[in-house]
Amino acid sequence: MFLKTVSVCAVFFATALCFAIEPERSVIQIQTYRQSPDWSAPWRFDAVQRSGGSGFVIRGKRIMTNAHVVSWARQIILRKYQDAKPHIAQVEFVAHDCDLAILTVEDESFFDGLPALEFGELPPVRSTAVTYGYPAGGEEISYTRGVVSRIELSPYSHIGNRRLLTVQTDAVINPGNSGGPVIQDDRVVGVAFQGIPGLEGAGFFIPPPVIQRFLKDIEDKRYDGVPLAGAGITPLQNPAYRARLKLPNNNLGARVDRVRSRTGATNVLRADDVLLKIGEFPVASDGTVLYQGNRVFCALGFQLGQSGDSVPVQLWRDGHAQDAQVTVEAETDDQREGNQYDVQPRYFVFGGLVFTSLSRDYMRDSGREGAETAAGEFNYELFFRSREEPEMTREEPVVLSSVLSDPVNANFSTRGRVLVDRINGIRIEKIADVICAFTTSTNTHDMIEFGKRGTFECLDHAEAVRANDKILKTYGISQDRHL
Amino acid sequence: MKQCPLFTLLVLIATLPSFAESPPIIAPSAWEKSVLRIEVARKAYDYYQPWNRRNDRAMKTGIVVGERQILATAQDLSDQTLVRVQKNGRGKWTTARVEWIDYHANLALLTAEDAAFWSDLRPANLSGKPPGEGAQLQIVRWREGKLENRQAEFTQFTVRESEGSAINHVQMELDSEIHDAGSGEPVVADLRIAGITFSQRGRACRVIPVSFIRSVLEAHKSGNQRGLGYFHFYWQPAENPASLAQLQLIGEPRGVLVIDVPERLDGSAPVLKPHDIILQIDGFDVDMQGDYTDPEFGPLTLENLSTRGKWAGDDVKMKIWRDGKPLDVTYRLPGYDFQNSLVPIAVRDQPPDYLIVGGLVFQPLTTPYLQRWGAEWERTAPFRLNYYRSDEATKTKPSLVILSQVLPDKFNIGYQEYRSFVVNQVNGQRVTSLTELQAALKQPKDSFHVIDFVPNESLQRIVLAAGEAERQATQRILQRFGITDAVQITSKTVAAK
Repeated sequence: MFLKTVSVCAVFFATALCFAIEPERSVIQIQTYRQSPDWSAPWRFDAVQRSGGSGFVIRGKRIMTNAHVVSWARQIILRKYQDAKPHIAQVEFVAHDCDLAILTVEDESFFDGLPALEFGELPPVRSTAVTYGYPAGGEEISYTRGVVSRIELSPYSHIGNRRLLTVQTDAVINPGNSGGPVIQDDRVVGVAFQGIPGLEGAGFFIPPPVIQRFLKDIEDKRYDGVPLAGAGITPLQNPAYRARLKLPNNNLGARVDRVRSRTGATNVLRADDVLLKIGEFPVASDGTVLYQGNRVFCALGFQLGQSGDSVPVQLWRDGHAQDAQVTVEAETDDQREGNQYDVQPRYFVFGGLVFTSLSRDYMRDSGREGAETAAGEFNYELFFRSREEPEMTREEPVVLSSVLSDPVNANFSTRGRVLVDRINGIRIEKIADVICAFTTSTNTHDMIEFGKRGTFECLDHAEAVRANDKILKTYGISQDRHL
Repeated sequence: MKQCPLFTLLVLIATLPSFAESPPIIAPSAWEKSVLRIEVARKAYDYYQPWNRRNDRAMKTGIVVGERQILATAQDLSDQTLVRVQKNGRGKWTTARVEWIDYHANLALLTAEDAAFWSDLRPANLSGKPPGEGAQLQIVRWREGKLENRQAEFTQFTVRESEGSAINHVQMELDSEIHDAGSGEPVVADLRIAGITFSQRGRACRVIPVSFIRSVLEAHKSGNQRGLGYFHFYWQPAENPASLAQLQLIGEPRGVLVIDVPERLDGSAPVLKPHDIILQIDGFDVDMQGDYTDPEFGPLTLENLSTRGKWAGDDVKMKIWRDGKPLDVTYRLPGYDFQNSLVPIAVRDQPPDYLIVGGLVFQPLTTPYLQRWGAEWERTAPFRLNYYRSDEATKTKPSLVILSQVLPDKFNIGYQEYRSFVVNQVNGQRVTSLTELQAALKQPKDSFHVIDFVPNESLQRIVLAAGEAERQATQRILQRFGITDAVQITSKTVAAK
C-alpha cells in the first residue's frame, strides 16, 4: 500500500491529422520552476528544479492542468501554441486528491484568439481519442492517438492514497505531457496524467466525471475534495456468508467490512451491512456497479457528488432491506498517509533537537521506507496503529528528525530519525505538545523518550535554552518553529 | 537480552594482552586422526505448503573430542534422517547418530556404534586458550581427500547472537583466505583446538571459542540439562551525563540504562525496572558502553555475563542504581525456548504446524514462514507480519495464527485471494495458537464459522459453513491437492492464559 507503482508522467499520443477545429491553439505549454522542502530539515528547501507540463484553456479564461504539474511551484510560465512569448500564471485552485489544477493569467489578453475547449462525456471503451501536449524530447506540440482500453477505479499516484475513476489507453507515456487534453469529437474527454513505469503501451487520463465534479466543487471558490464512502467495502460472493446474513444468493450486494470513525458513514453503516444500491447504482456481489457500461468498484457511487452531499443507499441489515442516507465527506484525517504538497512541513527546534511530523513524505525523504526497526515503527504508527489500536492513535505523530550538533546535545546516543513517545512523562500527540513540554518545563533536565522500546535522552534545560539562538544561527534556521 | 537497535557500537574489539608469538606451523598429519567429515541427510520443509517435505543434504566437519564422541556445530543437524561420518577424508562412510544437541549453544555431540570406526582415531586437545591480537591460527578440514590447512588471523572477540538462536555468547572472528568455511571446521593453534567455525562472510570467519565449548560440554557432562540463559531486558549506553544526572547517579559516569523489561511468561516478578542503571554484574563493573572486562577475553558486552559459566535458572548478582541510591538485586536467568517468542525465530526437529478448514490454511507466524519470501525476506515479506517480530510474547498474546492461503474450491469461493491476515477471533473466541483455533472450530455459531482478523485495510471477517458441508469440502480439497492430513500440530501449547 505504500509504494505505488504508478508514477506521474505525461501522456503523449501520435499525430492527429485533421480536425474540424484546431484544439492545439488552446493547448498550453507549462514550465514550472519548483522547490520542494527537505522533509528531514523542514526549514530548508531543495534546489529549484524546472519541469514541463501541458494545460488547456477552459471557459472563464482559465487553464486546466494537473496538480502535479504546478505543485511546489515558485514560478509558472505559459507558452501558447507557436508563440515564443512567456506568460506568468498563478494557481487559482489545486486539487491534489484528483490531480487537477486551475491556472489564471494576469494579462487577460493572453486568452485572445484562444477558444475554450468544451468537455465531453466519458468515452466508450474501444473508441479512440487524441492527446495533445508538450512532452519531453522537443519544443513543439505533439499528438498521440490511443484506444480507450479500460475504465476503472485506479490509484492516483500524485496523492498516493486515493483510488478514483481512471481511463486507461494504449498510448505511449512520456514525461512533460501531463495536464494535456484528451480529445474526442472536438471535446475534452480527459486530462492526461500518469503512466506505469515498465508497462509500455499504458497511459491514464482523468475522465470527465472527475473533472466535472472538481469544477463544481470550486464553484464556491473553495476546494473541498473528493468525498469518500468512509467505509471499507468487500465482495460478498461466498454462499455461506450470504446465508449467514440471510441474503438471497442472487449476485447482488457487497459487504461493509469496516467503517471509519469520524466519517459520515460512522453512525449510518456498520460492519456486515450489505450495500444493495448506492445512489442509482445496484451493487453486484463482486463489489462493482455498472457505470456507463463499465463495471467499476462501487466506491464510485460515493465519489461523484460533493463533500457534504447525502447519498441514498439501500442496505441489507438484520435480514431485510432498508434505506439510509450516507453523508459523504472529503477526508483529511489521512493526509499524512498520502503525499502532501504546497504546505511547508511543521517543525520545532529546541536545543538542536529537530522535531517534525511523521508523514509519508518524511519517510520517503529520510529513506525510512524499509522494514528495519525505525522504519517499522514509522510504518506502523502511520499506517497501522489507527486500525489496530484506535484508542492509541496520535493526532500528529512526531519524530525527532535530527540532532543539530552542539555541546548541549553532543552526548546523545541517538542522532534522530526516531519516533517521540513522551517528553517529561507527557505522551506526545502532536508538535504543539512538544513545544508545550519544553516551554513550560521547570525541570533541570528534560527527558525525551523514544519509540516502542523506550530509549531516552535527557537535556539540560537551562543550557538548551541558552544554546537555542546560537544553534539556530549556526545552522541558518530563521525561526525555531513552523506550525 | 538485547541492546537497543539505536545503539550499534556495543560490540567491541577485544584488546587482549598481546602475546602474538608465532605458533609453530602444524603439519596437516597432526589432525588427520581427529578431523572427520559428516554427511547429514535431513528433511526440509516448505512453509508455503507445510504438508510437503523434501530431502536435503549437508556436509559438515566434526572433531573427535572424547571417548567415541564427535563435536560438531548444531547447524544442519535438525530434522536429520541419517547422519554418517567419514575419516581420512575419503573411503567408507559409517552411520552415526546425534547423541546430544543444543541449538542455542550451536553445539552437538555425535557418536557411531561401529567400534572399528574408532580404532585409529585420536581425540583433539580442547585445552586451547584465547589467541592474542594478530595471532596466527589454522583452519583445518578435509577437502577432496586431502587435509586442507589454511592460515587465519585472529581479529577480535565479540558477543553476538548464536547462529540460529537469540542467545548471546562470546565469539571469535578471524580473517582468512579460506572459502566456504563455517561448517564446524576446527580452528587450531599450537596443537590445540582454539574453536570451531560456524559462518563465513567474505574473509571474515566466525568461530565458537574453545573455552565456551568446554564450558557447555562440561555442563552437559555433569548432567546440567537447563541450557543457556539470557538477559530478558533491553538497555542503552549511558554516555549522556544529563541522563545520569536526571537519574541522580552519584560519582563517575558508569553503568548502562535499562529501558525496557518485558513481561516474563513464567510469571516471575521483574527484577529490573526501566531507568535503573546497571553498575555491576557478578562483580564486574559495567562501563557506559555496556562493556565489562572479561579476565579471559578483555572488554566484552555485558550480555556475555548471562552465558559466562551461567545457565538458565542460575542467579546473577547485580548492583544497580535506582531512585537515587544503590541497590543489590538478584536476577534469575530465564531459559530460552524458541516457542517463547511471539514469532519464533526457528522451528527445529518438527514439521511446520498447519490446520486446513474448508481450504483455508492456517499456520503459526514464524520466522521460517516469513523466510519463504526468499533471501530478501526481511524486506519483501508482508510488512505487518514482519513487524510482529519486534513485539514481545505476552501471556495474553504468546503467539499468532495467520491465514496463510486459501486452496480454491467452490466451498470457499470469494476468498481465494485472501492471505497473510492475522487471526484475532474464531467463533467469538480469541485465537493465538492452532490448538485454540481447533477448539474454537468445535463451537460454530449457528452452523457457521466466523473468523475475525486483526483490523487491517483489506478484510476483517470471513464466514464459512460449518458441519458436514465443511467436512466434505475439507476432504475434497485434501484429495484434490494431494494433502494427507488436514491438521499437523506438533508444537507444544505455549503459555497458559
